Amino acid sequence: MIPVVETIDLRRTYGTGQGLVSALRSATSELFAGEQVALMGPSGSGKSTLLHLLAGIDHPTSGTIRWPLFEINGATPTLRPGPVGIVFQYPSLLPPLTVVENVALPLLLASRAETESMMLAHKALAVLDMESLANKLPEELSGGQAQRVAIARVLATGSKLILADEPTGQLDRTTATQVIDVLLAAATVSGATLLISTHDEAVARRCAIRWTMAEGVLDAPSIKTSTAAMSSSC
Amino acid sequence: MLTAPWLTGLVRRRPGRLLATALGIALAVGLLGSIGMFLSSSKAVMTKRAAATVVVPWQIEVQPGADAASVLTRARSFRGIEHPLTVEFGHTGGFTLHQGDSTQTTGAGVVLSLPETYADVFPDAVRTLAGSSSGVLLAQQTAANLQATVGDTITFTRLGLPDARIKVGGIVDLLAADSLFQKIGAPAAAQPVAPPDNVAMLPPALWHQLFDPLRQMRPDLVTTQIHAGFRQRLPADPSPAYSMVESEGRNLELVLAGDGLLGNNLGAELGKARSDALYAQILFLFLGVPGAVLSGLLTAAIAASGAGRRRRDQALLRARGATVRQLVGLGVGEAVLVAAIGSAIGLGCAAMIGARSFASATYGAAASTALVWATGSVFAGLVIAVASIAWPAWRDATSITVANARRVVGRVQDPRWMRWGVDVILLAASVVVFWSTSRNGYKLVLAVEGVSSISVNYWAFLGPALAWLGGGMFIWRTADVALRYGHRPLARLLRPFVGGLAGTVSASMSRQRRLLARSLTLVALTAVFAGSTATFNSTYRVQAEVDAVLSNGAMVTVVESPGKEVDAARGKDFAAVPGVRSVTSVQHRYAYVGSDLQDMYGVDPTTIVRATKLRNTYFRGGTADQLMAKLARQPNAALLSLETVKDFQLTPGDTINLRLQDGKTKAYRPVPFVYVGVAIEFPTAPSDSFIIANASYIGQQTGSSTVGTFLIDTATDDSTAVARRIAKLVGTSGIVNDVASDRRKIGSSLTSVELGGLTKVELGFAIVLAAAASGLVLWLGLTERRRTFAVAAALGAKPSQIAGFIWSEAVFVTVGGLVSGGVAGWGLTHMIVKVLKGVFDPPPSALAVPYGYLASVAAIIVGAVVIATAAITAVTRQPTIDMLRDV
Repeated sequence: MIPVVETIDLRRTYGTGQGLVSALRSATSELFAGEQVALMGPSGSGKSTLLHLLAGIDHPTSGTIRWPLFEINGATPTLRPGPVGIVFQYPSLLPPLTVVENVALPLLLASRAETESMMLAHKALAVLDMESLANKLPEELSGGQAQRVAIARVLATGSKLILADEPTGQLDRTTATQVIDVLLAAATVSGATLLISTHDEAVARRCAIRWTMAEGVLDAPSIKTSTAAMSSSC
Repeated sequence: MLTAPWLTGLVRRRPGRLLATALGIALAVGLLGSIGMFLSSSKAVMTKRAAATVVVPWQIEVQPGADAASVLTRARSFRGIEHPLTVEFGHTGGFTLHQGDSTQTTGAGVVLSLPETYADVFPDAVRTLAGSSSGVLLAQQTAANLQATVGDTITFTRLGLPDARIKVGGIVDLLAADSLFQKIGAPAAAQPVAPPDNVAMLPPALWHQLFDPLRQMRPDLVTTQIHAGFRQRLPADPSPAYSMVESEGRNLELVLAGDGLLGNNLGAELGKARSDALYAQILFLFLGVPGAVLSGLLTAAIAASGAGRRRRDQALLRARGATVRQLVGLGVGEAVLVAAIGSAIGLGCAAMIGARSFASATYGAAASTALVWATGSVFAGLVIAVASIAWPAWRDATSITVANARRVVGRVQDPRWMRWGVDVILLAASVVVFWSTSRNGYKLVLAVEGVSSISVNYWAFLGPALAWLGGGMFIWRTADVALRYGHRPLARLLRPFVGGLAGTVSASMSRQRRLLARSLTLVALTAVFAGSTATFNSTYRVQAEVDAVLSNGAMVTVVESPGKEVDAARGKDFAAVPGVRSVTSVQHRYAYVGSDLQDMYGVDPTTIVRATKLRNTYFRGGTADQLMAKLARQPNAALLSLETVKDFQLTPGDTINLRLQDGKTKAYRPVPFVYVGVAIEFPTAPSDSFIIANASYIGQQTGSSTVGTFLIDTATDDSTAVARRIAKLVGTSGIVNDVASDRRKIGSSLTSVELGGLTKVELGFAIVLAAAASGLVLWLGLTERRRTFAVAAALGAKPSQIAGFIWSEAVFVTVGGLVSGGVAGWGLTHMIVKVLKGVFDPPPSALAVPYGYLASVAAIIVGAVVIATAAITAVTRQPTIDMLRDV
């Protein structure tokens, strides 16, 4: 089976000399299609850095990262907007755009036609039962609603790898549960691989696979274990 | 104590924003300070110039029966007087010069007794043209009338006594003849039309020898005056200086107890200067205050561009238990800090500009005056800072919930002024006020009959002020409406540049219309300020030149001595002088219109248009060219004054019989003219009624083609050099004046006030304002949205796509601001020039638009926007992770 993304001894440092910070010391991992993984670890352990590298937002200092499932003739295509979708911990909706416009934005950035983009955006909102929010502005939404819209944005794009960076970090328990429900539903509906970073045990318990990070070192189960757990959900 | 750590945090974490806000304050403080100091300095210059133009500050006429020695003693001991000198006036029936067989005789004249020290005490009273500067002196015009030269012996009559013989020692020009021969104590209307043509000056001993016997017989033919200087130091401002000199004058008259009547020449000049000073004050209000208000708006806009962040900070503090009092305290602390930094920068820059452009950090103003202005400017800066920072902090703290404080865009109601149509009301009110002020002829400086004080008609300011405010608000409304309802057309416009994102960009702009409309309005108001200021100043400069040319007649004028027979052919001699471009001659006659004696000017309509500048505003019933062409076509055509046309109910084509003096018989006889148009102003002509006609027709009808004045246009700007060359040719037979000297002479007139300095200051500030209002405000606004751009980049937006968002807003704000500002500026400048009509003499026929400067302001606005936008776009080109980490 071809992994969606694989990393081999991935490292990321910032700064130089005395100010050198090793955000990620070692990360070797593979994620396969349909997997739903919880990435656990305390704050500052390097979870966000790993997610940024997996999203292609950041580049490793050393090591290898590949997205074999997305490669065309051996070359990696544009990851965003497209195959990789991100849900941030902080508010990530563009304030002057309505909910539906925010959801359609990645599609428009990918040069999809406006009509088609809006249609897909509405569809994604409908799937997540948020059509009523379509014309609201981000500032009129609650924190939980805003995160659900961010998930709809990923869903509309049809991303095959969803990376959620502590999506419930700023939410209360009830809202966090609702957001995780929506996130899992979105991943299931689209058949996307889901990696959620969290330090919330309750969230982690929803995923069958659990990776842990401590002081920049990733402890990910072996490929075999992952493959065995492939069919399981969070 | 929360304030100190908060301010320290601001200085450490947000020095850029703090400095940008301080820059707005600095502009207001610097502009007010520099213009204020310039105004004070200008007023001081006006006072000095007015005092300098007075040749003899005080003339005390000893009243009949009074003891002249006693008057002199009392005058000498009076505290305000210095160097009192006795000047005697003796009247004669005429002067005569016998030369061989020919005898030249003049009409009645005056023989003065001038003390030897007179020329030292009043150096500008008498200018020696030929011979000695002491002894027996003959006025230039008298010498010309008698054809006398130095060494000639002339006689003059003394009523009831034998004629007196004197030997001419020198020929002089009496530079202040008007005030010297004024009728002391008489109102302006009762003053002599002209000083006596024939004047001789004798040393006191000789004069007493010749006139003491006459005084015994006819004391009415001899008068005594005391000429004196003014000792006390004058206040810098013409108004208090005038009051001081006037009250001192009245005090002296009390001391003299009716034995002497004071001719307060210094007071009269200061009286003229104080109304000019008030006009200067008006210019300050018209040109300086909008700049300061604009700086305030700029500060508010800069502060508001960080309002979102401030509200979030406030919300956080409130959530952690900060009280409203503490939050307002933080706002006040920030306002004071910003005001202090801004004031220091503003005053520092003002002092630097002053030192560079005026060779004085205080613009020539006294240190105490400069301190007053500096303090006032700092106070204004503090008010702006409090209004821009502390007041919004208080408003947010008391009326916005923590949740609302986090909002960025806001689907809120329109501001109240927009819902209530305040902009439209202000514009309508402006039209009404403008119309009502136009009915009193836009009089700005009011002098009430019988009241010594004068005042500014501030009501006239209301029209332009309301138009400025209403116009700014209307521009805001227009931009708001265009973005709210026009986002579909806007999307179509944007599509070629941003492709499929056009709808999204347009929608984003529509939701941010409040921010964009505010930025656009700021750019527009800056353009209005720069445009109206520059156009006004430019028009003012042109009119000052026109005024100087109008009062002098041309770049150079040669005024022939009265009684001297000179014909137009003499002009050929002047035309041959190097530097002369063209010459025309003007006859000066008097003509009776009914029972009114009016000045009449005979011109050559084909050459006068080349030798001087005839403006269309000088005439009614046609342009200058059209009316001169009419004169050329119709020999008996005449241009009359508006008053004459009204009095005699004339319509163009009517024949009017004027009575002109015959050249031979000297008798007045009727000459028919045809009325073809109205002349309001004309070079060398007085401001009241006069007549313009063809010189050839006048010559033919009167039998005399004697020319009074030659108007000369120069090929170079150095009219003084050309005048000097012509003066050599003219000798003592006439007087040569040039426009540059005339400009210097009319020192108390406002048009001679050097506006160049004010222009430099204002235009410099306008450029900084333009750059700040466009580039800085845009940059700060976009900087606040870096998080949005970082998120867009993380979602996969290419730098070019983010640039599409940024550039669309920048172009909308810049183009919209410049276009609306241009239109509003054009209208407002016309209004200002009309309202300030009193400043212009004559009023301009068209605005002098400084296209070069305006183009450079537009270029600076565009350049600042391009730099700001490019800087933000460059930020969005950095790695996405860096952007995310930054925000």
